[in-house]
Amino acid sequence: MSQEIEITGLNKSFGQGAAAFHALSAIDLTIATGEFFTLLGPSGCGKTTLLRIIAGFEEPSTGALRINGKEVTGLGPDKRPINTVFQSYALFPHMSVAQNIGFGLKMLRKPKSEIKATVAEMLQLVRMEAMADRLPSEISGGQQQRVALARALAPRPRVLLLDEPLSALDLKLRKEMQSELKRLQTETGITFVFVTHDQEEALTMSDRIAVMSAGEILQLGPPQEIYNAPVNRFVADFIGDTNFLSLRVKAIKAGEAVLELPGGKQASARLPASISPSVGSRVTAVIRPEQAEPTPAGQGEMQAIVESATFFGTDTHLHLLLDDAQGFVLRRQNRPDQPSPAPGTNLGLTFAPGALRVLED
Amino acid sequence: MGCAVAKARFSINRLPGFGLIAVATFVMLYLPIIILVVFSFNAGVSQSHWDGFSLRWYQAAFNNSQVRDVSLRSLWLAVTAASFATILATLAALGTTRVGRFPGQTMIYALINQPLMVPEIVTGIALLIFVAAIKVQTGYTGMGYLVAAHTAFCIPFAYLPIRARLETLDHALEAAAADLYASPIQAFRYITLPLMVPGILAGFMLGFVISLDTVVITEFVKSAGQDTLPTYMLGQLRRAVTPEMNAIATLFLALSLMIVTAFFFITRTRGR
Ligand SMILES: Nc1ncnc2c1ncn2[C@@H]1O[C@H](COP(=O)(O)OP(=O)(O)OP(=O)(O)O)[C@@H](O)[C@H]1O
Ligand SMILES: [Mg+2]
Repeated sequence: MSQEIEITGLNKSFGQGAAAFHALSAIDLTIATGEFFTLLGPSGCGKTTLLRIIAGFEEPSTGALRINGKEVTGLGPDKRPINTVFQSYALFPHMSVAQNIGFGLKMLRKPKSEIKATVAEMLQLVRMEAMADRLPSEISGGQQQRVALARALAPRPRVLLLDEPLSALDLKLRKEMQSELKRLQTETGITFVFVTHDQEEALTMSDRIAVMSAGEILQLGPPQEIYNAPVNRFVADFIGDTNFLSLRVKAIKAGEAVLELPGGKQASARLPASISPSVGSRVTAVIRPEQAEPTPAGQGEMQAIVESATFFGTDTHLHLLLDDAQGFVLRRQNRPDQPSPAPGTNLGLTFAPGALRVLED
Repeated sequence: MGCAVAKARFSINRLPGFGLIAVATFVMLYLPIIILVVFSFNAGVSQSHWDGFSLRWYQAAFNNSQVRDVSLRSLWLAVTAASFATILATLAALGTTRVGRFPGQTMIYALINQPLMVPEIVTGIALLIFVAAIKVQTGYTGMGYLVAAHTAFCIPFAYLPIRARLETLDHALEAAAADLYASPIQAFRYITLPLMVPGILAGFMLGFVISLDTVVITEFVKSAGQDTLPTYMLGQLRRAVTPEMNAIATLFLALSLMIVTAFFFITRTRGR
């Protein structure tokens, strides 16, 4: 697969001297043609800034940016085959929905008939046919977002940048738009760079995810890898729910650590290459709530007592207290024949090899 | 209860004498104007004794070729000066809001608005001396001086609403236009300019009214035979004041009111 976007050694700071703020540090990134690539991270971590640099609204302080093999530093946004769905929509307030959608094609001097056909197609795609002649101030926030999407798609760019395009939609429409976006992306082959701070959205839609924090990319990989093998505590905490356990190292051998579990039993966990704890020290280990299973009391790896249970429809979250008073959340699928244990019940816990992982703090 | 007392104390319209002052202010503002308008319809020549309703003074004003001349000159001058001032003010507003911050920006902002703070009489005398020197040097005594002086005087008034409008315009709109392949000129033509129109219209009207209204600048700059309506009226007042003056003033007032009303509606309906 060819590389659509190549970013090497990119830094971005705002302001100068002592007051400079480093919004992005040492970003290295390649995005393949046709990929659905997601930037995921908490508010203020630099997602929008990175998109603005790719789109050409902002120049990197240092570093190189190539699009389709061509160095684009210094090229304005109107010279890049990239369209953006803005976080604030930025619809033109004096133009109708249809005129907004047709604007890019008009600037590209496409024939009137082609513009008309594409606009109709786009209106249908985002289900806004009935509102073609309304002004942006006359439609709802969610509808504005769909128009912004249609406007960016209409010129068929090589790359579409989407800055939290679904954040204003209600849950049902959001799910629909998610699969719509995904379908669109596969059909058109357009490279999507998608920004979100919704981890579930990132996991379900992306080919690859870059997890960002404070201007850095902490981890980059397919959703399964990010979820199953987070590189550090931040990523594990940000993606999905996780139990953090502080455990003592009993022995170390061949990239694995033997850890002492609450209650005294031992289990081994793979050590990431970046850390080498000494025997006797404590490390942070994680187990996902759905990767542990309850067993009858006295059996399994650890013993626990049920503190409370929270019902979530498809499953129940059992809040447990382990032997050494560390908390643990267990996710248990609801089955009519197996009522969830009452608070105060003793039970055992078991988990598959590989479910227990040691993490960098 | 303490709260209610405090509220009552803080409400300015409960202060003793508030109503009286308010009424006195409105009387001061409007009574002279009302009297002026009423006596423009007087059948007699008196400004104080009512002799019955008549339109004779309006007829006299319309038949007075001098009044026609100075009115047309005033309108022509106001339209010309306001047009130039609006164009220049638009460019100035773009320069101070649409380019990145540059050194001396605050200084330039202050300089543009300075004419609002310089007393008009000072500007007038300065212009008199300046223009007289040029008239001597070049021998040119046309309307150019008045157009230039009025234009310069109107720029800050036109600049304020245009700048205010531009400041509320989201930069993201221009960014979106650029993202959709609009060149900077196209982005201006299709996005910025149409959205600026309410501000530009407001600026033009303010400039127009200011130019129409100014006595001092015109008085000091004009050459012979270049009276505008205000300077003509001032000249007439030195002689006998007939209700013809009232009629002219009333028409002038009606024109101003129409412009202000139009201004209000344009900024209301287009100023989304
Ligand atoms: N023009 C600017 N000048 C100074 N600081 C800026 C500028 N633009 C962004 N920043 C800062 O850079 C950081 C990253 O901003 P950015 O908009 O990229 O965050 P984000 O990840 O998109 O957040 P959100 O999820 O809230 O949209 C923030 O701390 C922000 O305050
Ligand atoms: Mg953002």
